[in-house]
Amino acid sequence: MTKASKIFSAFSFTIMMYIGVVTVANGDPLARRISSNSEFTFIRLVYNSAPAMYQGYGYGMRDSWRVDWPDAENHFLQGLKRLTSVDASGNGQLLTLLDEELFDYPWLYVLEVGSWVLSDTEIQRLREFLLKGGFLMIDDFHGSREWAGFMSIMRKVFPDRPVLEFENSDEVLHVMFDLDNRIQIPGIHTYWSGNSFEKDGIKPHWRGIYDDDGRLMVAINFNMDIGDAWEHADHPNYPQPMTALAYRFGVNYVIYSMTH
Amino acid sequence: MLDFLLKYPQIVYDQGELILAREWPPWIAVTCFVIILLVISAMLLIKRTSLKLPQLLSIWTLQVLMVVVVLMVIWQPAIMTEKLRSGDNVIAIMLDTSESMNYTEEAGSRMQTALAVLQDQAIAGFNDRYLVQRFTFDQEAANTDSFETLPLPEQMTLLGNSVRQVLSMSRSTPLGAIVLVSDGADNAGTLTQDQLAEIAAFNVPVHTIGIGRETIEEDLELQGVSLPGQALPGTILAARIAVRHDKPGLARLKVYDNDNIIMSHDLELEETNQVTTAWIDIPVSDTGYRHLKFSLDPWEGEQVTLNNQQSRVVNVKEEKYKVLYIEGEPRWEYKFMRRAMDKDPSIELVSLLRVSQNKFYRQGISNADELEEGFPTSRAELFQYNALILGSIEAASFTPEQHQMIHDFVSERGGSLLMIAGLNGLGNGGWENSLLNEVLPARLDQENQFVREKIKVALTSVGLHSSMLKFDQDINENRTQWDGLPEIADYQLIGNLKPAAATLLTFDVAGETHPLLVNQPYGRGFSYILATGGTWRWQMSLPLEDQRHETFWRQLLREMVIDTPGRFFMTSQVTGDEIQIKSEIRDEEYNPERELKLTAIVTPQSGEVITVELHPSTDVPDLMTGEFRADTSGLYTIETITRRDDEPIDSARMAIYHDAGKAEYFSLRTNRSLLQQLADATGGRYWNIDELDELPNAVEFSSAGITEREISPLWDAPLFFILLLLFKIIEWLLRRRWNTI
Repeated sequence: MTKASKIFSAFSFTIMMYIGVVTVANGDPLARRISSNSEFTFIRLVYNSAPAMYQGYGYGMRDSWRVDWPDAENHFLQGLKRLTSVDASGNGQLLTLLDEELFDYPWLYVLEVGSWVLSDTEIQRLREFLLKGGFLMIDDFHGSREWAGFMSIMRKVFPDRPVLEFENSDEVLHVMFDLDNRIQIPGIHTYWSGNSFEKDGIKPHWRGIYDDDGRLMVAINFNMDIGDAWEHADHPNYPQPMTALAYRFGVNYVIYSMTH
Repeated sequence: MLDFLLKYPQIVYDQGELILAREWPPWIAVTCFVIILLVISAMLLIKRTSLKLPQLLSIWTLQVLMVVVVLMVIWQPAIMTEKLRSGDNVIAIMLDTSESMNYTEEAGSRMQTALAVLQDQAIAGFNDRYLVQRFTFDQEAANTDSFETLPLPEQMTLLGNSVRQVLSMSRSTPLGAIVLVSDGADNAGTLTQDQLAEIAAFNVPVHTIGIGRETIEEDLELQGVSLPGQALPGTILAARIAVRHDKPGLARLKVYDNDNIIMSHDLELEETNQVTTAWIDIPVSDTGYRHLKFSLDPWEGEQVTLNNQQSRVVNVKEEKYKVLYIEGEPRWEYKFMRRAMDKDPSIELVSLLRVSQNKFYRQGISNADELEEGFPTSRAELFQYNALILGSIEAASFTPEQHQMIHDFVSERGGSLLMIAGLNGLGNGGWENSLLNEVLPARLDQENQFVREKIKVALTSVGLHSSMLKFDQDINENRTQWDGLPEIADYQLIGNLKPAAATLLTFDVAGETHPLLVNQPYGRGFSYILATGGTWRWQMSLPLEDQRHETFWRQLLREMVIDTPGRFFMTSQVTGDEIQIKSEIRDEEYNPERELKLTAIVTPQSGEVITVELHPSTDVPDLMTGEFRADTSGLYTIETITRRDDEPIDSARMAIYHDAGKAEYFSLRTNRSLLQQLADATGGRYWNIDELDELPNAVEFSSAGITEREISPLWDAPLFFILLLLFKIIEWLLRRRWNTI
């Protein structure tokens, strides 16, 4: 081994050790195994994000799935347990589409999908998950550019299935709470900036992808940030009506996913 | 030997009563015995010489025994018997003249053998001592002067009815005994325990003489075919086949739908069994009355092949059955079961889900009013469903009246109840103290918690043959498919199974096997326990195109509903060529409707329409019955119409296939056990044709008819004198050995 090789090896080793120490110190969420003794476990989908699409809010380029994690789901689960008879776990859990346990948890939550990147295997497993009866809630992505990024993947998952706006009569809007009066739910920073929308996502959309029997498989909350409303439910400067509506949407999605 | 030692043949002792002819009071015998006992004891003690105690006791015992024998002789034992008085009594001889008596065996036909038996001196000699009345019988008995001219053979034997008829006809005559000559083929099954008791009550001994072979090696008989009378399209029916045989071998069973063969199945007939049973799966798809014919290929040399075939009719119909599912919490099992049932055209799954403490969510309802007030509060509302599923919900969620209604739903309405495991289900739900613990197939126990651990499911041998657990018609492939299922998500232990419970699925935990799916009949209905709420994992873990999860739920629910009786229930019973229609009508609460009139319109495949009025049964309350005779083979469609004040109210239809005149070819082997049962119940005896010499003696002993009492002394029986001699010789030999003589 040459001197240069030895120096390179020592450098590589040091770098790897550093990464390992940092990972352990930060408590890598993916290193934890799922342990749930409840009927309903809130699973947040972990995915890779495209650098070009990355918008940047203080997270690493591969970490846009982390947004609002874990407070959003942990707050929501408290509400779900209080408002319903669902035997829900106290904390959310994380899974990738390649995890073996994916099919043991028929509920998935994913956000910031404007920049998501899924491999062919992940796309195939997501399609299978949904067609077998799994449910996917999509949240917190805004504007035409992110919609295009989201659809570039979703078109591969379901090339022929249309994305439809919820009808007022859609059961998902009534299964637990009647959600006829819907308003845009902004993220906390957007709200503080005096807006209710981000980028060019002025109008909120509640959209869905349905299976052959008309059952909702994918609930798409576009141009809004329900997760932020959950996360900041206890923040004195975040409006209560929006938090309440976000909870109601979450509850309806969960109940619908467990009944249809 | 018995005759020599005790003077009289065995039958005298069987029929007689032992008495003591010396009419001295018993205390004299006791006093004599005690005095002699004391004298013997004293004498032995005085003259004991050098005998040791054990030797002394031996001598004492022998001498006491001798005294006992002497005292018995003095008191004159005797046998008291009642005998038919010669010349005053009637003996009835009954000859079976049904078709099965024409079966040819090595020595000729059974009828020829029977006639030879009747000419035997033993029976011919009856004429000297009794007035002999002769009867032929098949469906009924007929008096005849002689057996030289016989009636044409009938296609059915009603043995019990015929004997009862002869007994009734002879009420006014001193009938001493009946001698019945038959092969025992009571193919209408009329000799029930009730009828035996009725015959025995006449107190006339019936001596039966068995004609024919008890084993016929060359013959195969399709003894039974059991399968449901109705089915939903697309169902696989499990048919239980029973084949009677007297040697091992291979038999080929063919099944025809009308005249088209739909399957062929080889049955291995075992050496150890006389009746081999097997399960076969028959797929039914097209709606309508399916006439299924089951036929065994004949064996070489088989003389009678008509008993190789049987026909059944299955009514395959599109019908909606309603299932009510009450669930106490949103859960995946609920969702995936609903999805599995969504595309089943036969099951309407109506569910009531408690989504929060104060809110229920209804699915599958047919109108806005259905279940608006929650769980049904009246019997009529609940009884409109065919099956009820209780999920993870506590017993306390129901009122005592609702508990009673659920109980009655199974026991009276005949519905099916399925309870599935859950956080608040089974033992966790407090059901162990409810009325439903009586209904369910296992005891529930509060200690048996719901456990979220994955477990593997296994089929039991009962489950393997159950139509509700069929993934494939081939038994091995079915087992493979079950073995290949992924683990389910959770389980819950249940308590001890009830005696009538059948375990269909099991799972293993910590090396112990526990029941997962059990059921039992209860009242008119069935109850089930599924000790998991985690079969949904099959749906999510198996490949997308795999239908096993859906098939499991569809078949389970179909099984639960298919036999639930409707308000207008009709069935039939075939006795030879006589067909009885049975019907029950109930109101919305399943209380019997007693005011309605019923008329059945019977349309044979060929021939004229028959109208049958149904009347209340004398045996079973609330059952209406009517009979008609089916003279021709073919399909008989029966439509029963209910009327109130001559206004038609409702109607029900069913169909049967009848093979006229075939009954006599079944149960071909001599039914010795039936003839023996008849003889034993009446105080008579079963006779083989080679032991008829003793028959006249046996017939003589009867308490029926005009009898005389005979006392036969026993005191001079050689046995007593031999015993006396024996005791004395033994004593002498012992004394010689001990050198005391």
